[in-house]
Amino acid sequence: MTVSMSCRWQSSFRVRWSLAALAGLVCQPAQAADAMDTLQVHGFISQAWLISDDNDLFGPSSEGGGSYQYTELGANLSFRPHPDVLVAAQVLSRRAGGEGDDLQPKLDHGVIDYEWLSNTERRLGLQLGRFKNPFGFYNQTRDMAFTRPGILLPQSIYFDRTRSLALASDGISIYNEEYLDSGTLRLQAGVGNPQAGSDLDGALGLGESPGSFEGETSYIGQLLYEHEEGHVTAALSAADVEAGYRNGKPGPGDGTFHFQPWILSLQYTEELWSLTAEYALRGIQLEDFDAPGRNTDTTGESWYVQYTRRFQENWQWLLRYDVLVNDRDDPSGTRFEAAGGGPAYTRYAKDLTTGIQWRLHPQVLLAAEYHAIEGTGWLPASDSDTLPEKYWNLFLMQASFRF
Amino acid sequence: MSSKHQGNHWRKDSPRRITEYTDSKPATLPAIMLEPVGRRASAWLARLICGALMVALFGHGLPGMAAENDVVLIANPQLAIGPLPRDTARAIFAMRQRTSPSGQALHVMVLPDAHPVHARFAKGLLDVYPHQLRLAWDRMVFSGTGQAPERVASQAEMLKQVATTPGGLGYIERGYLDDSVHVLPLAE
Repeated sequence: MTVSMSCRWQSSFRVRWSLAALAGLVCQPAQAADAMDTLQVHGFISQAWLISDDNDLFGPSSEGGGSYQYTELGANLSFRPHPDVLVAAQVLSRRAGGEGDDLQPKLDHGVIDYEWLSNTERRLGLQLGRFKNPFGFYNQTRDMAFTRPGILLPQSIYFDRTRSLALASDGISIYNEEYLDSGTLRLQAGVGNPQAGSDLDGALGLGESPGSFEGETSYIGQLLYEHEEGHVTAALSAADVEAGYRNGKPGPGDGTFHFQPWILSLQYTEELWSLTAEYALRGIQLEDFDAPGRNTDTTGESWYVQYTRRFQENWQWLLRYDVLVNDRDDPSGTRFEAAGGGPAYTRYAKDLTTGIQWRLHPQVLLAAEYHAIEGTGWLPASDSDTLPEKYWNLFLMQASFRF
Repeated sequence: MSSKHQGNHWRKDSPRRITEYTDSKPATLPAIMLEPVGRRASAWLARLICGALMVALFGHGLPGMAAENDVVLIANPQLAIGPLPRDTARAIFAMRQRTSPSGQALHVMVLPDAHPVHARFAKGLLDVYPHQLRLAWDRMVFSGTGQAPERVASQAEMLKQVATTPGGLGYIERGYLDDSVHVLPLAE
């Protein structure tokens, strides 16, 4: 295990050296010893097993023994070369179906954080580098099982099919916290280039074309309010994400992808239970393609309501209803089907989920969950030629370890 | 003024105050000298005496013992902090605010999540649930926006670490206190 892991992590050496170089810039020799005192290393490993009656999610889940192709490994380090400066980076290996090569570690985030001001009234600072996009309640740590209410996040908002765009941006982000009498107000706003992986090409029906999407200058922001003792949390997230499609000739030609999501998030927490809801409007435009059929302008709608109940100290029960509509103007997908685009149920998804989490040790989490799903709106694009089923059931189990 | 006395005001709504209990001790002593009248009566009396003694010794003793169990916020003696507003303490232990009101860098220490004193500290003093603190730390550590507090294994270690670490801030039961640390009262 150790040997094979060290091989896989080799490409993170480059990251480590760049970090060391960055540290050298902001770190004075006298402070080096102090900086080492602040060094922290954390990580996690998750392995899941999925089985479904129809439709494959993350590998061949609908075949005989189900799929083990959902693995998440992450490791991060952080230190303070100066009391106001935080250097933090994380590499992530993730396979969710697809090839084993997907486990190749990628830089999940890598930032230099400078806190300009911190007192009893406010906090103000900026992050430079690859920063995690503040998007809804869960996006910034979406791959770390211990921060999720279940094995799968609500797929209507945290969907896998275009996840690369949502993860992180290379650029600059500012943050501001205001400590008010009634609670805390937090603002985070960033500008940078998102990652646009091949998942985007596939999800937009350009997987077979020669070109690929590349992230272009994009904007993201979140305003979050936490009332007094943290019982009530509300957030509004917005983004204007742009990716350019290049080298598509002679097929679709070059074009541009715009993504403008708005997410309203609400949570009420008591000691033993939490009620969470998020609602998103997702504007998606494809522009400037030569092939006129490629240029589209749709608005998708997503929402979920989720109840979590803690009991027996280390157990948590989850109940959630999650709805995705790809096109608000055609919520049932009938117009899409009539126009010959494919089955109506590929344009939406309704997912009723119940699950259980058990922290049998502070570092070990076991989880199981069941989904009853109508529609395949968020099912990642597959290579298979067969049409997906409209009604399907999915069962998952996951073991996670952290350090 | 010793740090122990300073800490008595930390929680204005505390139902458990140190009370004087020496005056109630002699109340049951004459009962012991009574002659038994019969087996049933003596058994009954013995039970009564035991009960009375229990009440005298432990019932009235409870406030004093509870105070020993009270969790107090402690700081390295070099930290120049007065009473800490609860909101500020919460932001500090959530690892969002990293400096004291006077601008000194803080070094936050916590007991393990499952430690009963940790739960009592979080709920009683900060008014947050331990699972909320854990989630706040995890979200920072795994998104590159902050660091986790330093975890110490026991209250004895907490005392030692806070006393010897510049900017050290932590919590222990009052019974573990000595003069190596300051008690920080919480202000509303």
